[in-house]
Amino acid sequence: MMHIFEEGLALLRRRGAVSAVLALSMAVPMALAGFTTSLSLWSRPLVALESHATVVRVLLHPRMDVAQRQAWIAEQARNHRDWRLSEIDRETLEERLQVWFPYLEDLLEGEHAIELPTLVEIEAGDPEEVTALAEGPAVIAVGPTSSIDRVLGLTARTMTWLLGAISVILLASAFLLAATWIHLEVFRHADEITIMRLVGATESAIRSPFVVAALIPGICAGLAASVGAWYLIRMVAIAVEAVGLSAPVFPPWLVAAEIGVGVVLPMAAALVTMARHARVGETD
Amino acid sequence: MIRLRNLTKTYDGRRILRGIDLQVEAGEFLFLTGASGAGKSTLLKLLYAAERPSDGGVWVAGQRVDQLSRHKLALLRRKIGVIFQDFKLLRHKTVLENVTFVLRFHGLRTREAHRRAYQVLKRLGLHHRQSALPEVLSGGEQQRVAIARALAYQPRLILADEPTGNLDADLAGELLSLLCDINYQGATIMVATHDHALLEAMPARTLVLHQGRIEYDGSWPP
Ligand SMILES: Nc1ncnc2c1ncn2[C@@H]1O[C@H](COP(=O)(O)OP(=O)(O)OP(=O)(O)O)[C@@H](O)[C@H]1O
Ligand SMILES: [Mg+2]
Repeated sequence: MMHIFEEGLALLRRRGAVSAVLALSMAVPMALAGFTTSLSLWSRPLVALESHATVVRVLLHPRMDVAQRQAWIAEQARNHRDWRLSEIDRETLEERLQVWFPYLEDLLEGEHAIELPTLVEIEAGDPEEVTALAEGPAVIAVGPTSSIDRVLGLTARTMTWLLGAISVILLASAFLLAATWIHLEVFRHADEITIMRLVGATESAIRSPFVVAALIPGICAGLAASVGAWYLIRMVAIAVEAVGLSAPVFPPWLVAAEIGVGVVLPMAAALVTMARHARVGETD
Repeated sequence: MIRLRNLTKTYDGRRILRGIDLQVEAGEFLFLTGASGAGKSTLLKLLYAAERPSDGGVWVAGQRVDQLSRHKLALLRRKIGVIFQDFKLLRHKTVLENVTFVLRFHGLRTREAHRRAYQVLKRLGLHHRQSALPEVLSGGEQQRVAIARALAYQPRLILADEPTGNLDADLAGELLSLLCDINYQGATIMVATHDHALLEAMPARTLVLHQGRIEYDGSWPP
């Protein structure tokens, strides 16, 4: 076990500069893939909007008390049998708004705190019918009935898919980099592989050092990619926060994921490449 | 230990070996001789399966080597010590590492492998060059590293291809006595050589290859 590691290190030492370049060039697509993954996670709340497309939001006057609100809701339900009305409680509303307006908390606290109106969601067959409610004294606003939510949701969903696809392509290019490097190394060492076979080395004894030699740059690439992804997300976060929106965050598990990818990709690349070139260095 | 039946090898239509039959018992010492290009190396390559026969069969230690799986072949090769005509040293490893490398296959720990390799190198007068890389060694020194590697794990079968090709008469004599010792301990030894001095220095079963056949099989001189 130990000597496989030593053999792998010996391979690496001979190609120190190239391995470092390999680690860095794998880190670039891996970092970008981590970045796009975080962005696609960040846009998830937007995707959820799409399913609410037939829901119209209505804001009730903040001064109405519980009984008044319930009476109003009951009345609407009586008048429009096909509507489904649900009152969103204060905490849920706060939570939802906070996603987009991080400063809301400050507005809702202290002496001059503003009071949040009550939000009622109405799922209607024909959203346009809900607009008429705006005339009543209990209602201070009726949300947009246009398909803006649907458009936003669809856009976000497309973006998520696109970002996902980009992540996959980026990871594939990291895989190809590792595979190409191992391919070159195997051919560079064809003579030695021949000799190793002739003196009784088994396939695993021949292949393992190459796997180790790919693994170490891979792990380094994983670490570097974590730092890179963190930095990219930080840059976007700064820009987004400046506009007052909630910023994407760097999920801590991304470090583990990047290192995991750094282990799995080069290992898979090594095994696949070596299996494809199993006959390199064979004598007959 | 070795059995060849109707062994034939053709390279690009040229028949190098033509239907060779041979039986070598365990513990035998034999020379394989013949003119340059007669096919001595080819015969040895067929024994350690670096080449596959065009026809016929090769058995070594009871196994048909030309039909072994890759893994089983690796395990069989660990029982054979081959001294290659062109040495086949690992150029990135030092003299000592070239020897310990194969000892590791036999499950020896680093310290034990180093001790054993050093002993063999010392016996061949090379211990002072243990940390040199093969490329800085003279031909004779490289040859002795190849010999050390083949002998270090005490194989039951030793195939030596021109083992004295780069050695002076003294060193050749020493190698021969070393091989005799090992043979005395029970190993089977087959030495391919065209060095008549070697044949004369030690009376043993001798095969003469000529035009693809074994022209003579018996003690030397005939
Ligand atoms: N891989 C090969 N392809 C084609 N011809 C080959 C190959 N290997 C050997 N030969 C031919 O086979 C013949 C026998 O070669 P071999 O190396 O066995 O001779 P040898 O008896 O060991 O000679 P020497 O005493 O010079 O080492 C030679 O004519 C050589 O050209
Ligand atoms: Mg030869």
